[in-house]
Amino acid sequence: MSLFKKKTPSRSATPVTSYFSALAQAETRPVNGVVPTATPALSLSSSVTSSSEDTILHEEDMEIDNSDGLALPARAPNSSEVFSTVHTEFGHCSNGDYRFVSQHIPGTPVPAHVDQDPPYYILLSTYISYLILICMGHLRDFVGKRLRPASYRHLMPSDGYAPLNSDFDSFYTRRLKTRMDECFSQPVTGVAGRTIQLLDRISPDYNHHQIFTGTRTRALNISSYNYLGFAQARGGCADAVEAAIREHGISSCGSRLEGGSSDLHVLAEALVAKFMGTEDALISSMGFATNSAYIPSLVSKGCLVISDELNHASIRFGVRLSGANVQMFRHNDMAALESLLREAISQGQPKTHRPWKKILIIVEGLYSMEGTLVNLPAIMELKKKYKFYLFVDEAHSVGALGPHGRGVADYFNIPPRSIDILMGTFTKSFGAAGGYIAGNKSLIDRLRVRGHSGPYAEAMTPPVLTQVVASMASIMGISAPPLTSSNSSSSTLKLPLEVEPYHHPAPAPASSLPSWLSLPPSLSDGTEGRSRLRRLAFNSRYLHQGLIKLGFITYGHPASPIVPLLLFNPGKMNMFHWMMKDRQTPIIVVVVAYPATPLVTSRVRFCVSAAHTKEDIDTVLRACDEVGDVLDLKHGLRRSERWTVDQVCERALELVNL
Amino acid sequence: MVIRICPSRTVRFCPLSRATMSSSVDGLSTFLTYSLNNLESAFLRIPGSAVVVRYVKSSHQNDPGRTVLELILVAFAIFTLLQSRTRADRNGKHFIQFNEKVVVVLRIEDIKTETWQEIDELVDEWTPEPLAAPLDAIEASDLAAVPIVVGQNGPKPTLVKQPSKIIANLASYNFTGLAGKEIIKERAIETLRKYGLGSCGPPGFYGTLDVHMQLERDLADFLGAEAAIIYSQGFSTISSVIPAFCKRGDIIVADRGVNFAIQKGIQISRSTVRWYDHNDLKSLEDVLDSVEKERKKRRGPLTRRFIITEGIFEKDGAMTDLPKLIEIKYRKKYRLILDESISFGTVGRTGRGLTELYNVPAAKVDMLVGSMAIGLCAGGGFCAGSQNVIDHQQINGPSFVFSASMPALLAVSASEGIEILRSSPSILTKLQQNVRAARALLDDLDCISIPSHPASPIIHLHVRSKSGAGGGLLHPASAATVSAKPSNPASVLPRDASKWDWDINAEERALQQVVDEALKRGVMITRAKRLRGQEMVEARPSIRLALTSELSADEVKKAVKIVCQALKDVLRK
Repeated sequence: MSLFKKKTPSRSATPVTSYFSALAQAETRPVNGVVPTATPALSLSSSVTSSSEDTILHEEDMEIDNSDGLALPARAPNSSEVFSTVHTEFGHCSNGDYRFVSQHIPGTPVPAHVDQDPPYYILLSTYISYLILICMGHLRDFVGKRLRPASYRHLMPSDGYAPLNSDFDSFYTRRLKTRMDECFSQPVTGVAGRTIQLLDRISPDYNHHQIFTGTRTRALNISSYNYLGFAQARGGCADAVEAAIREHGISSCGSRLEGGSSDLHVLAEALVAKFMGTEDALISSMGFATNSAYIPSLVSKGCLVISDELNHASIRFGVRLSGANVQMFRHNDMAALESLLREAISQGQPKTHRPWKKILIIVEGLYSMEGTLVNLPAIMELKKKYKFYLFVDEAHSVGALGPHGRGVADYFNIPPRSIDILMGTFTKSFGAAGGYIAGNKSLIDRLRVRGHSGPYAEAMTPPVLTQVVASMASIMGISAPPLTSSNSSSSTLKLPLEVEPYHHPAPAPASSLPSWLSLPPSLSDGTEGRSRLRRLAFNSRYLHQGLIKLGFITYGHPASPIVPLLLFNPGKMNMFHWMMKDRQTPIIVVVVAYPATPLVTSRVRFCVSAAHTKEDIDTVLRACDEVGDVLDLKHGLRRSERWTVDQVCERALELVNL
Repeated sequence: MVIRICPSRTVRFCPLSRATMSSSVDGLSTFLTYSLNNLESAFLRIPGSAVVVRYVKSSHQNDPGRTVLELILVAFAIFTLLQSRTRADRNGKHFIQFNEKVVVVLRIEDIKTETWQEIDELVDEWTPEPLAAPLDAIEASDLAAVPIVVGQNGPKPTLVKQPSKIIANLASYNFTGLAGKEIIKERAIETLRKYGLGSCGPPGFYGTLDVHMQLERDLADFLGAEAAIIYSQGFSTISSVIPAFCKRGDIIVADRGVNFAIQKGIQISRSTVRWYDHNDLKSLEDVLDSVEKERKKRRGPLTRRFIITEGIFEKDGAMTDLPKLIEIKYRKKYRLILDESISFGTVGRTGRGLTELYNVPAAKVDMLVGSMAIGLCAGGGFCAGSQNVIDHQQINGPSFVFSASMPALLAVSASEGIEILRSSPSILTKLQQNVRAARALLDDLDCISIPSHPASPIIHLHVRSKSGAGGGLLHPASAATVSAKPSNPASVLPRDASKWDWDINAEERALQQVVDEALKRGVMITRAKRLRGQEMVEARPSIRLALTSELSADEVKKAVKIVCQALKDVLRK
């Protein structure tokens, strides 16, 4: 079988011509008066002028090849449906049933990290696989060093220099990761939206080198952190960014404290604070650096950081720089956390037994490899008793969770001001880059002055800031400007000092946006933002429950847009990745293994997006079903309780409402 | 097994005693006999069990003491296995045992809460320090004084709280004026329309775009290196490059005046660090010799050894003598990590940095780190080096692996910036003219001292010490004037640190006044902001001017004259 997608002619996918004829028929059909629930505002807006035909074309000068079933919607829209997005970036879906509200039902327990064990033969064969891999690797090293010393030169001391990388340290990379390098670092082009274009590559020498063939493959993208589908090259947000580039240029020219601050920074920070429901917020130009550069200014020697064992590398990096003591607790295990807290407070600092200066608990809202949600209600209970400070890293959860998209606090309906530090990134849900920290004013001001980024790191650039502002405002919706003329006289800049009644979650005040920024009505009235939130919640639950019903072992919370599917055997990772990519409709997936996960629990991680349609999730489920049978991956539900893939697709609504 | 066989025999051989036993004991013993017999037969059915039985029997017969010993061993093994694996300090002498007796058991809707009184009291007593102290008056006023630009930043920006027009911006990093180039904006917009803004993924998982790879090639070509890798923030680039290569046990020899990002990279690497006097290559050689002597004495293994320094120092604008440094590095067999964040895009005929200025092939620098955010007015940072060095970082650079890749339009802007620099060397000539024009005026001023190199596009201004002891901190002159006794390489503080007589607070206040004064007269400058208390060596307060090619020489002269006047007015008071 070839490594590449078979370019077979389309079987079932709608041919282009028939699509357009259906479209033409739809145009002539009289409108039956039913206003679609998904895009009510659009039908009135000026964007109607751009006909549906335009919006499905992904690139102007490219002829549509729908053999993969990705370029055109499964069903031609009728005349009452007008879409403003490009289907390949953000899928067309007007069925109001395929929506769900992401929220915690009070009183129900928060599902813990479900560790469903596979059959013993799977565990055994996984261990044996690793054993064979490791033995083979060492054997090859042993023989290779003697027979082909030239290819090991960079691992050996030479000419008085120690090797940059010892053969022992790089063993895993050379002997295990190289074998499945085709799954990693796949270069792409274009928008990382609903679909993505892969730059095809082959390796003539077992993944030591990759050669580009010059061709491209469009694939269904269930891997990017594009939760709300704001990765778009067209649409209101992209228009706003274009305006920003013309108005503000590309660069901020320096750090925040040394001549790199602009009114856009002030505006965006105020908007982030409004979005999060906190007094104030600050913005940093890189998500990783938000943790690594600001945690050291929160804690220092004599403080204790209690960190979830699965926290992200950036948190560990920051904590290590801070010099504070660190203790870890078992992932999301509140009993372990409580006993650790009791021990820490009663024992005090090691040796001296002085009480800790502060105790900071760092958790993530949504864990990127597990899909688990932090048990925030339980932590808030503990917080009342044990007086620690709480840092919630919402890198993945902000925008993706909660009925208003405000993150994990919104999901559990916990007032954001009761959490000391809310950190998050813009890379994921907002389709931008960088991160923020939100909290009370004195804390944020302290961080502005004491954080590493303030004086030394470059400020966020205007295009990125604008993407943040535009996408965030369209999630919030913009409230109509007040009729009083007080706003018109002042400049575009509104400092967050105004005293206004606290109301959360509230729409963005019109004054909080730059004057040159105008969003299309569907974005500014928040309908599209809301529909994106609902679509994401539907898709997440559907994929999650669907996979379970098909018999797979998955981890995580059903509300999580991250859905890990367990593979266990390392050899299956390669195969799964390749079998998903080599289909009629290619699907790209992320496979992760040790060291990102425990040794035995290699997995596939799906990242669901609002840009996916229900049909896309069907496609993924069908593909998983087939591949899962071949690779023997269904070890979850017993055979009698499973559904067939057709049942799953038909009864999607029932599944989601389970 | 030994035990098991005996009771069954006892029962078998004493049938008469059964009648005298009470019925309950009788039932029990029958049950025991029955179940033991069952167990025995079940055990004997296991293949190979006969061998075990034979072994135990014969071993017991030969040496009953051995049976006891083996039983003890088995018991010990079980005990060890069942031992709870708590943290070591729980058993250590530093652990205090509290009375953990259950005092109250509450039952509210199946939630069982147990409280331990003593610990609860301690928990109630404990009051943590506030998470962050509010700003004091000086900090608050400093924060409020940070200039905020309205609209596009550039050579003559508009400020929020400044009614009068700014005639020159000598604070922001826009050395070659790329920030305002229309062609870059056009290319950025084109890219936006093709790629959107965010990349929505780390480089390993579908975050590597073709434009990223193009930029990496452009950078490598521009510098003459074999390959390059891009990071999404300039500041965190070197803090990630250092720990990717330097591990525990490796040796780092670093300049005492390195910037904050390098300090953090060194800190996180956990390598053994030795420091040499700021920008003093003689001191570097001494330190390298002493490291070698130390290694020979301990007969340690050959470890990786690195020299880490900057091209143009962010802290004071001093410049490294690169050819000499390269010569030393090769002679002593060290690898060189050179931070060119300030010098890349600002010196050399076309802005290739120090390697171009000194005509040293970039391939001789093992890891050349620079910033596209500073040098190319785009975003992010890069590391250039051999293919091996770059490949290694793709797996081991923490902020490369664990961070989303940079937005496509910033990568394209950087590529376009390189193209502009490459094709128009006049930009760099103009920048150098402006630097010379500014230095000509500033060098004459007697109330300040300038530690920066004459060609450096950033110019640091210190308040001249009353004692007149040279330029003060971090200046090579200060090292030369003190006695020949070298500083301790293991300490980051130089020998003469105790003699520093400047009052950091007073000088910062005075310089801030100068900044405010200059701003009133239309020139935007800034103090070099420092994280006091977090830097390894407290840098002397300074004003940092950043020149740009976008202003004409006359405009620069006019602006610098205003700065000079402000300095005179404030410092001579």
